[in-house]
Amino acid sequence: MLNIIFYFQVHQPFRLRHYNVLDIGQGTPIFDDKLNCEIMKKVSQKCYLPTNALLLKLIKEHEGRFKVAFSITGTAIEQFKLYSPETLDSFKALVDTGCVEILGETYYHSLSFMYDSNEFLDQVHMHRDLMKQEFSYSPETFRNTELIYQDRLSDLIYEIEGFKSILTEGVDRILQWRSPLYAYKNYNKRINLLLKYYQLADDIAFRFSNRDWPEYPLTVNKFVNWIDKLTLNESKGRNQFLNLFMDYETFGEHQWAESGIFDFMRHFPAEVLKHEHLGFAHPKEASSLSNYQQESMSFPEAVSWADEERDLSAWLENDMQHNAIETLYELLEKIKTRGDEKLLTIARLLSTSDHFYYMCSKYFQDGDVHKYFSPYDSPDQAYIYYINALAELEEKLLR
Amino acid sequence: MKILMFTWEFPPLISGGLGMACYGMVKALLNLGIKIDLVLPTREMVYFPLRQVSDVDTLPVIFFDKAKQSKYEKLLFSNEAQRMEHIGISESPESYFQLADIKRYSISLKKEYWLSERVSEEERDVWREMTNHLVGDEDLIHKVQEFTLRAEKIAKLLEYDLIHAHDWLTYPAGMLVRKISNKPLVVHIHATEFDRAGGPGDERVHKIEHAGMTYADKVIAVSKYTAQMIMSRYRIDTAKIRIVHNAFTVPEDAVFTKERIFQGPVILFLGRITLQKGPDYFLEMAQKVLETHPDARFIMAGTGDMSRKLLRSSASLKLKNRFLFTGFLNRKQVERILRASDIYVLPSVSEPFGISPLEAMAYGITSVISKQSGVSEVVNHAFKIDFWDTDLWVQTINHLIENPEKSQKMGIDGMHEVNRIQWDEAAEKIRQLYSATLAEYIRKQK
Repeated sequence: MLNIIFYFQVHQPFRLRHYNVLDIGQGTPIFDDKLNCEIMKKVSQKCYLPTNALLLKLIKEHEGRFKVAFSITGTAIEQFKLYSPETLDSFKALVDTGCVEILGETYYHSLSFMYDSNEFLDQVHMHRDLMKQEFSYSPETFRNTELIYQDRLSDLIYEIEGFKSILTEGVDRILQWRSPLYAYKNYNKRINLLLKYYQLADDIAFRFSNRDWPEYPLTVNKFVNWIDKLTLNESKGRNQFLNLFMDYETFGEHQWAESGIFDFMRHFPAEVLKHEHLGFAHPKEASSLSNYQQESMSFPEAVSWADEERDLSAWLENDMQHNAIETLYELLEKIKTRGDEKLLTIARLLSTSDHFYYMCSKYFQDGDVHKYFSPYDSPDQAYIYYINALAELEEKLLR
Repeated sequence: MKILMFTWEFPPLISGGLGMACYGMVKALLNLGIKIDLVLPTREMVYFPLRQVSDVDTLPVIFFDKAKQSKYEKLLFSNEAQRMEHIGISESPESYFQLADIKRYSISLKKEYWLSERVSEEERDVWREMTNHLVGDEDLIHKVQEFTLRAEKIAKLLEYDLIHAHDWLTYPAGMLVRKISNKPLVVHIHATEFDRAGGPGDERVHKIEHAGMTYADKVIAVSKYTAQMIMSRYRIDTAKIRIVHNAFTVPEDAVFTKERIFQGPVILFLGRITLQKGPDYFLEMAQKVLETHPDARFIMAGTGDMSRKLLRSSASLKLKNRFLFTGFLNRKQVERILRASDIYVLPSVSEPFGISPLEAMAYGITSVISKQSGVSEVVNHAFKIDFWDTDLWVQTINHLIENPEKSQKMGIDGMHEVNRIQWDEAAEKIRQLYSATLAEYIRKQK
């Protein structure tokens, strides 16, 4: 049996204004409310609302046999409430079907794991509380920002009550001869690991509308055929897991409706379920479904799902990114010592990983992706506004 | 007395100190009763007949083309920006004139001007030097060629007693008009290629500068520092050189009261972020001062070809949020940043004059300026340090941070001093130079 595990990432950052030195101390808002509202409304119309409606229909049609998982960040929930409450309601309706698993992550979609373990744990607990409050849901599966993972993460997550599994990227240099189609354990066998099958996930997320791709256009038949073939290698009857992890904005936003992405999704579950040995599962079910001894897998270095490198270089490579993030965590510490809740909230909104992604100066194809997602003209501009915002925050703290 | 003046910058068309200097100077000259026909690199072929002081702000304009002039007279502009747009002027230097409008400059400067038998060998050499080097495919060179060709027409259409050309971009124009009209030429050196390039620079520009100064009747240098450069690097006859320091007249609507943005000490760099201005020295001193005074903030105000490099370097030095970039600032924003600053630094590698420190001092900001600058010749209440002596810059800034009262007093003394450095005095020197040049010229004609 091969179980398809869909997990969709739902996230929106609070983007900064073009915040200049002369804005400091003037009471000018740091965050670009207008832009954030516009983007949330646009993405809700193009992606969240139509895709939620489609998934709700599919879940009902297949009576429990089609299921998906979501990770929804705290900043996304806050923006739903501010700019698109109907979107939050539509997510709630999906969760109410019982066919949706909600994952845990950091409230602010931050890189705190790399810089400040206490802050990381705080943000994970904040997110757990929010999921409880909004969806009456206690997540059992954790995914760190951008699927960033390293052995140490499993130790931290293991200590939090309720988490039994973690999702991350199926990075070739870690997997080597092993297949991402099986459930694994972390390095000391305390927690389950599920690994993204990036070839097929990225066919949908990145290549679906790419006319230069030899497999274009991607049809449901073709895709299900590829999935079916994956089961041929398993002769011992072990249950497999095909982890298709992607940004939820893939549907209608990264891949426009005109590309046929919604039609693809509309027909995909039925086509899968025609095959008896194919089905859908939630991440939290993988452990009980694995009818074999789960091998342990060690990740000494941090990995992620970003760019060709699948490491942290999208956020933490150049000097601007390092200086910016180090300055932030130093300031965050000072704010915590002072106990100023209002400033702490702002600092945490500034911890969202997107801010550092905008400062990425890698070239070529990945650079293009960065540019597509950035509200600024250049990494340098993104850095300048961010550092100015940190100066504002620090001046406020000194006052 | 009527002057035909060529310059590349004049407000609102302005990108640096040249525009500011020309504005102050022309205003003060008008106040002395001197009439000026001003020619700028405008899209339309026009000149600005400046007759009274207020004309520097209203910029009355006359088109050389009669049809265009009568059309212009009938037009009603809803605002000044619209009128400037019609003439082809904006704050951005890109709009001087469109290159697409320029017919290829095919060395159509008439050869007869320097090939006639009466022309001396020396004169012929100077012309060759200029024409042979005013070549290239850069936009700027094409613009200078166009400006020069227009000057040929202008020379015959206007009446004037003397020609005054500012910086190399207008020297070919000035030379040509002198040749055609037989009127004396004064060239004004605001900066040489050695200053701008912070090194050897562009050979063609050196040659054009040399030709212009050689051909001119008088050369005005904005400082002793520049005069020395002209003598040593360009070998220009000392007798022709006059020094007229720039000045700074405080705008009437300026507000000087302090308005802090930051609680800690603020050290300001204000100017183009380019090699000449020593921005890398500023970064180095910031790094060292922050070791002793981590609460200080260094502000780099302006833009330039080294912005990106400086930004990246400041990040790699891990200067946190203590080294900030403002990007381009307009005049009002410059005022705000000045009012928020405690210490102004000008670490220029080579600064012919440097008006910006005078502006900073007018705001009562303690100033530390490069010894390799003209402005250091005219102010006493400022610290003067060799641009390369980073340790001394650091010590000085630390000292000022640690002794705020001393620093403040220095700032106030500086303010009083700068208030006495007025354009009127500089203009009077220029007027005398005009008169002497004319007298000499008339004597020679006889």
